Amino acid sequence: MKSRFLFSHQYKPLGWFLFLIGLILGIVLMLNEYEFPNWEMNVFPLIGENDIFSKPPFEWNSNNISDEISSILIIIGGVLVSFSKTKYEDEYISKIRMESLIWATYVNYGVLILAILFVFDLSFFSVLIYNMFTVLLFFMLRFHYILFKSKRSTINEE
Amino acid sequence: MKNSIKVERAIHNITQANLAEIIGVSRQTVNAMELNKYVPSTVLALKISKIFKKPVNEIFFLDSGD
Repeated sequence: MKSRFLFSHQYKPLGWFLFLIGLILGIVLMLNEYEFPNWEMNVFPLIGENDIFSKPPFEWNSNNISDEISSILIIIGGVLVSFSKTKYEDEYISKIRMESLIWATYVNYGVLILAILFVFDLSFFSVLIYNMFTVLLFFMLRFHYILFKSKRSTINEE
Repeated sequence: MKNSIKVERAIHNITQANLAEIIGVSRQTVNAMELNKYVPSTVLALKISKIFKKPVNEIFFLDSGD
């Protein structure tokens, strides 16, 4: 079966590798109040405020890029894990994939609505950080859980 | 929709894994069809009918809920 928009199966292990490295880096950063590891590098912001707390736009400025690296690794890794074909990507698995994507979108925005109603100030900023990754995370959890369940039911059948 | 894939498999002495390989799908798909959890596409139904040498509507039939 032809499936559009999916990566080849061989990208899945690479995806897991990038995702886990990004996740570990992110957790280390979070535990150290985003100050360690401190990988300073010059960056060129396209958008920014002109006050003392910010980096003004269109000027080279020093910045710890470990959080940028962590985010990008989690996103690229997560996308590869989520959207690489399974070994036998067929129509039933495509259906599980689509249902999991719908499910993940609902759960993601459900959680976000709860957070909008009950979380405020700086804590809400943390929610926004997690929310960058939760659609992918919820999708990965649900998709792989259903695949695992259907595989187990197949083994029991024989 | 219901189907008699499991019965046909027994008649032809084919395992789920064999059938999956012949029609080019995963084993989970064959299993899900036999458990009536998944309604196959027309293409897949036609492939199955070809393997068992029977018309599609002798393998797949409508259920009261359809």
